[in-house]
Parts: sequence; C-alpha cells; structure tokens
Amino acid sequence: MLSAIAKPFAALALAAALISIVLAALGASPLGVFAALAEGAFGSWYEFSETLVKSTPLIFTGLAVSIAFSGALWNIGADGQLTIGAIAAGAVGPHLGDFPHLIAIVIILAAGALGGAVWGAIAGWLRARRDVNEVISTIMLNFVAVQALSWMVHGPLMEPSGAYPTSSPIAPAAQLDFYFAPSRLNFGMLLAVVLAAACYLLLFNTSAGFELRAMGRNRRAATFFGVRIPALTVWVMALTGAMAGLGGAVQISAISHRLYEKLSPGWGFEAIAVALVARLNPLAIIPAALLFGALDNGSQAMQRTQGISPELVQVIQGLVILIILAFDTPAWSGLREQIFGASGDGANPVPPVAEMPDA
Amino acid sequence: MLRATAITRRFGRTLALDGVDFEARPGEIHALVGENGAGKTTLMNVLDGWVAPDSGEASLDGKPLQPGSPRAALAAGIATVHQSPMLFERMTWEENLALGGFDQGAGGLDLADVAARARALAAKLGFDLPSAAITVENRSVAERVRLEVLRALSFNPRVLILDEPTSVLAPSELTAFLDLLRKLRGEGRIVVLITHKLAEAIAVADRITVLRRGRVVARTTPAETSEEKLAALMIGELVTQPNAAAMRPHPGAIVLQVDNLTLADRIGRKILDQLSFQVAAGEVVGIAGVDGNGQTELVELLADVRQPSAGRITAIGAIAVIPQNRDLDGLILDMRLWENLLLARPIRDQATSHGWLNTSRAIDLCRELIARFRIRAPGPETLAGALSGGNRQRLEVARAIASHPRVIVAHNICRGLDLAATAEVHRTILDFAAAGGAVLLISSDLDELLAICGRLLIISGGKIRETSPGDRDPERLGLLMAGARD
Repeated sequence: MLSAIAKPFAALALAAALISIVLAALGASPLGVFAALAEGAFGSWYEFSETLVKSTPLIFTGLAVSIAFSGALWNIGADGQLTIGAIAAGAVGPHLGDFPHLIAIVIILAAGALGGAVWGAIAGWLRARRDVNEVISTIMLNFVAVQALSWMVHGPLMEPSGAYPTSSPIAPAAQLDFYFAPSRLNFGMLLAVVLAAACYLLLFNTSAGFELRAMGRNRRAATFFGVRIPALTVWVMALTGAMAGLGGAVQISAISHRLYEKLSPGWGFEAIAVALVARLNPLAIIPAALLFGALDNGSQAMQRTQGISPELVQVIQGLVILIILAFDTPAWSGLREQIFGASGDGANPVPPVAEMPDA
Repeated sequence: MLRATAITRRFGRTLALDGVDFEARPGEIHALVGENGAGKTTLMNVLDGWVAPDSGEASLDGKPLQPGSPRAALAAGIATVHQSPMLFERMTWEENLALGGFDQGAGGLDLADVAARARALAAKLGFDLPSAAITVENRSVAERVRLEVLRALSFNPRVLILDEPTSVLAPSELTAFLDLLRKLRGEGRIVVLITHKLAEAIAVADRITVLRRGRVVARTTPAETSEEKLAALMIGELVTQPNAAAMRPHPGAIVLQVDNLTLADRIGRKILDQLSFQVAAGEVVGIAGVDGNGQTELVELLADVRQPSAGRITAIGAIAVIPQNRDLDGLILDMRLWENLLLARPIRDQATSHGWLNTSRAIDLCRELIARFRIRAPGPETLAGALSGGNRQRLEVARAIASHPRVIVAHNICRGLDLAATAEVHRTILDFAAAGGAVLLISSDLDELLAICGRLLIISGGKIRETSPGDRDPERLGLLMAGARD
C-alpha cells in the first residue's frame, strides 16, 4: 500500500517513464531533457526563487479551487476572479502614491480581494437564488473577465500616451519589495503560505469550515441539520473569489506593476489540477503548486538547452495529473476500504450510494 | 435449484460468511432470517455476483455461477432487490425501469413502450405507478422499492432475491406483496426472502434458513418452528419487547404544539392539511401512516428546514429530529463518527467557541456515546459508512439524545433493524420519555407504534386524526392508514 506521500512521487516516476518514451521517439535524450528541466527549476538560487515566484499565483488560485470544491461548489472561475482582482489592483495602484508604503500595499491587495470576491459572489448568488449551475456561470464569467481586461487596457485604464495596450504603472508605494534582489522573491509568496495555513484551519478547525465540508459531502444531510446552504454558497464563492483576486493583486503589485492583455496564462485552470493533485488539502496545495511552478519554470531552460518546445511541458503536466489521479482513489472507494477493513459487525457492504456531484 | 456450498467471505477483520451452505428449490419461498450483520446481505451479494466469495461456490440448476459478476448472475436468471434502493435519483421512473428488461433494445429507446409494459406488469401485481416522467428523487421509499421489484421482475428471472423488501410496506400493501410472492412461487420460480420480520417468514415461507454471525444455525419449516424459537436462534437469547401497557400515563406539560399546520406545493395542492396535535412531556405519541402521506414534509417542517404555508409549530425547548433515511439525510457516510455528531446544531454549538471548533471535545463526546449506547465501532475516527445499519441508527439516536432536546421527532427509525437493535432503540426512546422528554414517533410500522406509543394518530392524505385510546385493533387501524373513513 502506497502512502499518501509516496503516491505523487510514484506517479511522477511513471510520468517520467512515459515521457521518456515520447522524448526518445522524438530523437531527444530523455536524461538530458530532464536534467535541463531540473536545472532550470532548481539549478541555482535564482532559478529556485523563480520557481517560487511562478508557483505563487497557483497557490492562491489552487486554494480558491480547493475550498470551493470541498463544499462541492465547482468553481471553475478562479481565472476570471484573479483577472478581476488584478483589474481592481491595477486601477487603484497608480493613485496610491501619496500613501505610506504599508497602507498602499494593504489598499491594493484589498482592492484585488474585493474584486475577486464580487466576481465569485455573482456565481454564488446565481447558484443560490436562481439555481444556475456554477460550472457554467463561472466559465462564462471567465470570458467576461478576460474581455473586460482587454477593454480596460485599450480604453479606460490605457496608459496616457496611448501607445501600448497596458495600464499606467502602479505607484512605487503600492509595489511589493523584492527581498533578495535580483531574485523576484516577494511578500506574496509568504502571504500565500499563510493563506494556505489559514484555509486549513478554516476547513478543519472552525464551525463554518465544518458546515462547508458537510455541504460538500452530503448536501441533503447538511440541509436537514440546519446548514443554510444558499447563504453558505454565496459566502464560499465570495471567499474563494477573494483568494483568487488576491493572487491577481499580488501579481500586479509585485511582478507586472501594470495591467496588460492575457495577464493570466491560465493560472485559474492550472489551479484545478493543483487542487486535485493536492486532494483539496490546503496545506498540500503548496507542494502541488511548487511542482507545477517548477515545470513551468524549468521548461524555459529545457527549451534553451535542448531545443525542446515548452509545449512538451504541457504534455508532461497532463500526464502527471492523469497518473496522479489514476493512483488516487475516489471518495467512495476510500469508504469501501474503510468498511471492508473495519472490525465490529459492519459486515454489510454498503452499495456506493455516494451522491454524484451536482455538476 | 439454487445452491451455495461452503461460502466463506471475509471483510477486513470481520468474517461475514463462515462456510455457509444454502439451497433453495424451484417453486418455493425460502426465507433467510438473521440479525443485522449476520451475513444475509453478503450471502445474497455472493449469489447475485456483487461480491466474490473467498472460497466456496454457487450454482443454479447445476451450472456453476461465475463469482463476482452481476452481469453473469443476471444472465443466469438471478434478479435481486437490494435493501437500499439502487435507483438513479435524477432520472424518471421510466428511465430507471428502462435499465431493466422492459426495454426491447431494438435500436432506439422507447420510453412510452417501457412505461406501458411496466404499467401492465404493475397492474397484474396490484402496484400503483406515478404519473409519467416523474423523477425518482422525491418519491417515497415504498414507491422506490416497488420500482425495484418491477425492474427485477422485468427480467423474467428464474430466481428472485429480495433483501428486506417488506420493511417499507404498509400493512395494507403487505398482504398484496406476500400474495405476489406466492404467485411467483406458483410459476415455479425460486424466491429468496431476506427478512427479520419473523411473523412474515412464518406466514409466507416454505422453508427457513437462520443465519447467526456468518454461520447457518438452523434450517427449518414454518410448521416446525415459531417466532419465539426463531428469535432465540437468531440472537441466542430472547429480548423482551417493551410494552406500552408498562408505561405510566403521566401527561406532563405540553412541550410540542402544532396548530393548523398546512403545507401546499407549487401548484397549490395541499400536502399537509390543517394538522393540529400536541405532545406532552413524558409522552410517546405515534403517527401511523403509509409512506408518502405527508410524513416526510411534516418532519421537514418540525426540523425547521422548510416553512409551512400556514399554521404554527410551538415547542418549549429544542426539537431533535431523526430523519427516516439515515444514509441520505441523517448521516454523512464518508465523515467520521465524531464529525457526524457535530452535524447536530446543539452539539456543534456546544463544541464551538468564537467560531473555533473544539474537535477534541467532539471526539471525547463521541467516545462516551459509543460506550453508553453500545455502538459497535472501533472508535470515534471510524467513518459512519463503516457501521452496520443498526449501529448507524444507534449513532443517530445517541446524537439526538446528546443534543439534550425536549422533543425527539423520529421517523421510521427502526426500518431495517433487527429485533435486538429495535428493542434497544425503543428502550432508549422510552427512557428519554420516562425522564420527561416528549417523543413523536412517525412510522409506517403499526406493530412498532402499538408496542411503544401511549397515544396514536393516523396520517392519511395529509390529514391527521387521533384514535381513541382503546382502539388497538391493527386491522381497523390499518384500514384507517389506507385512507378509509369511519
């Protein structure tokens, strides 16, 4: 029996074996490619810090997805929520020059969180009051958010010269510092780790988190015992939207300092894979996001030194996810294991009555 | 001849079946009786291919059955009706039945044809079917079982195995159902009836096999045995049923008062129509009725998860509700036992301060309840789904009592429980009443209500009426449950 920790590594090894076959077929040296990948992701302090920087938005969005999924709310909209958060941050950022550094940072991050919260709450409200499936509404809101960003940088928020489709840079007071220049490591990574710990506590050590998990496992029973499902739905979507939006604000404040089109390379979607690999556990989101961040970062070195296209990294990512999920056991087979492994008189095998998600 | 030889099956540390031999002949109704956890369901699952035995083999008419293949069992002519209905909640009943043998499978799926065939068979059996294109999710348990029986019979099976089918039927439906079984026997089929209603086994079976802790302890016939003898075989000792006569009638203050409670559905049809009744401290009041007459809705109103159209519920102190469907409404099967305790709001509130959950407090409480209510579980960290039906129910009752309510509303809580577990649940309920609690027991099992209730109300078509205290004739009460007027 593989332990929970060994499983992802076994999956990685299997993915590596499969990808080796693909690489060999393409005429490349698998070992050379993997070495370049590892070198690019962890080879030096600078590369490692870049891996951390690239993982940061994945932690924020990964947490947003995992908290929503824990309540069986299928929030596919982290990308849109992150984008709206970034727009809010990019909109207020240029006007914070007169504030003290700390206050400016708080304002720009709060703006991002608020923007994401509103975007998430819309989907939550639609689900709670109009019974609109949140999978559909969050996907649609993603489209709207991406086009809203495009409109913003060509219109209301376009930089004054009108030469580039970007916004004006945010005030230096609202920029997160790089602690270890030249590395771009910043406060955002620390914030993401603290948020992961907070999410863990929320989920497993608070009454609200219990209600959220109860709603996720058995909506009917939760309803029966007085969990106010509609209100909780709106709150959870707003909260997870805020997390994704905060991720967007951190990206603006620390890294890009301005808005531009296609700001997110798909963090909100990669987040779903991150959350599933982490089995929705907020603490496990950190290593899972690091894994994906390392693959992103290492792919550039791979391209440089081995002439392998970065698209191949997407193939690797896809294989890793598939294999990790294949190694994983779905919720009810874990249940079955418990039944068959339990003592006492629990000999009646329970048919898998576990309800399918509402999606 | 359906034959199982030396079947052994182990689940983890539990030996569910220990060298069981079983045979049922064509043209007989064979009752398989035993306590919860005795191995009845596992034996059935071995026969219908859901579970592969560790050792031993099964055969039908001399041909060996492929172990662990439900498809092969069905092809060989073995159809089963499972204890928890296996229906697709969000599909219509026609679609559910289309998965059976009604669909002729000539290219497309003709739901109208499926419905027509199903109605024809249902009419022959005396069943009612819902109107067209109704999804299963809001149908009563009794209706679901009927759908499952229909689906099983649609295969025109040689062997029909039924796991506790009668526990959800009303007295009026029961006679028809037992007649149906006799009809199937008359056609030369093999009928295996899993039950722990001993009277029923004696009434309808030709032969009876008794299981205890995974072993066959007796093979007998109704002529050679009696309910008492069977009970003794099943549990090793006789458990005396609590008797309503032994309860002192000491009506205390009214703690639950229901006035003109009315609930209408979206199109204005009255599901509950001006219900008024009261329950006093120390009282066990029963509401008898055939499933689907408004009981579920009444429980939801009492649980405050639904608002009435008119009328009022007044309670002094908290109401703890034990819903009827313990696996869907009462428990979260893939959560731990202590987490299931937290589902009850009073317990959750008690373990919470400033929003923070004191999990060790819930775990301690759980450990205490496991001991006090003799829940057979390894510990608080066990998943609720790992418990047997009886222990799940003990957990639910324990949770209700641990939330210190003034009123317990319990809906069909002994459904599917064996004698010992039923007696224990009843004793707990009676103890609660004796200590000054009020109990509203809603059930379709008239015997249960007559055994432990001081007062009895009848619900039918969303209306409620009180029976006179002296009127304890099951036949007459059964007619009232079926909707007859005086």
